[in-house]
Amino acid sequence: MGKGKGKALKLPEVGQWPDKIFPIVAVVGIVLTTLGFLMAFFYVPPVAGAAVDGVELIGGMMVTNKLLISQKIFFFHMPVAIVSFVALGFACYYAVRFLMTREWRYDTCSCVAVEIALVFVIATMVTGEMWTRFEWGVWWTWEPRLTTYLVLMLIVIAYFVLRAAVDEPERRGVFSAVVAIIATIDVPICFAITRLIPSSIHPVVLREGGMSPEMGMCVGIIAVGMFCIGFALYRARFNQVRLTERVESLKESLED
Amino acid sequence: MAKEKKLSAEPARSATCERPSTFAQFKTLLVKDLKQEFRTKDMVVSMGIYAVLVIVVYGVALSFAKPGAEFLEVSGGLLWALVVFTSLLGLNRSFSHESENGCMEGLLLAPLDRGAVFLAKMFSNLVFLLLVEVIAVPLFWLFFSSYATPADTAWLMVVPLLVGSIGIAGIGTLLSTITTRTRGKDVLLALLFVPVVFPLLYACVSATTAVLVGGDVVAETLRISLVLAAGYDVIMILASWILYEFVVSA
Repeated sequence: MGKGKGKALKLPEVGQWPDKIFPIVAVVGIVLTTLGFLMAFFYVPPVAGAAVDGVELIGGMMVTNKLLISQKIFFFHMPVAIVSFVALGFACYYAVRFLMTREWRYDTCSCVAVEIALVFVIATMVTGEMWTRFEWGVWWTWEPRLTTYLVLMLIVIAYFVLRAAVDEPERRGVFSAVVAIIATIDVPICFAITRLIPSSIHPVVLREGGMSPEMGMCVGIIAVGMFCIGFALYRARFNQVRLTERVESLKESLED
Repeated sequence: MAKEKKLSAEPARSATCERPSTFAQFKTLLVKDLKQEFRTKDMVVSMGIYAVLVIVVYGVALSFAKPGAEFLEVSGGLLWALVVFTSLLGLNRSFSHESENGCMEGLLLAPLDRGAVFLAKMFSNLVFLLLVEVIAVPLFWLFFSSYATPADTAWLMVVPLLVGSIGIAGIGTLLSTITTRTRGKDVLLALLFVPVVFPLLYACVSATTAVLVGGDVVAETLRISLVLAAGYDVIMILASWILYEFVVSA
């Protein structure tokens, strides 16, 4: 996703420098996420988990809070969530570029970035659901983060439904760019509003105050790995879509 | 239309004619929409009937619950569900007049400011929505007055209703302009509109519930919710206003 933003004239195209590095980046991403995964289990000490009423005997020890293994989900969950939002940010950037220049390449970029965002949003939702179930004991709660991601997922799905529902390419490009921009504006507002309004109905879920250095390092490694994987996926998908477009246009020119 | 009048008033005297101000354009377009609605009574009637039917469905849904004071905590949400579905119906139809008979093309051919087109459409949608709310909200309380009596602060409900309606009209106008020119427009509008308007809805339900339940936390909750809802309105209407030009000319 890190293509020369400064050079406005140089459009993203298959065979530019990101294509030379993306297989390597993919391998680096896989190695880093695997490393982080192993670290999460064998290196990072468990932190205080769910609170227990009073003192209980768990596993032969008197504890006041449960050291749940489900907290390991967090190491995977948070980086994925960050990457999904960054991918949406790139989609918004390319959508703005498309509206400014009307270059089809940017529409393709924006669409591919939203696809990557969808992949990571779904990964976030799945890991988030597991977290909710094991840590808080329910399948769903209307907690700000969960709500925001639900809304984000719905808008991203609506984006693809919209793309499928418009036949004219130009209209489809403009409409989907506008929706991508609106989605990127809407999601932070959604988080802010669900977070700031005091809710009398739902319990306020307290999270651990901060991350220990080991945790931070582990999350950082997985985040970098996830960024690499996201970038590689984006580039691979972009190449595929772009080559398909070129084949189509070649076919058309041959018919003429 | 203002332009045509000007042209016919002084046809041959000068080749250059003054461009009507953006406000004049906005006024002309708004009056056109309101006049059309006043003559056909198409949208307000269908939205009003729909709102009453939703209230009837609520009546069935609540008939075995016999809620007491806790009804107040739910009623804010029920009221907003009513507003959202009614406004969805209205927004779907707001561009159907324009797409029939090629009105939209005519509108775009005229040298109008696209921002004025957006604001006029937004205001007409807002007026219809408020008209329906003026009928539907008292009816809601008439039908459910036996369940619970709202707190003395209930009249403050007007403020979140107004703020929420402005936001719904703003973002709804942009989205309905998009979906009116796609296949499966009704479903697509709902699919886009509900998630996008979710934050506004959340803030408005919070504010409405606060004034209905009353008590000492009213002022605090109401203030935060209204500030956030107004912030959403400002950001979203500005974004829609900027993006409308692209959408309407696509």
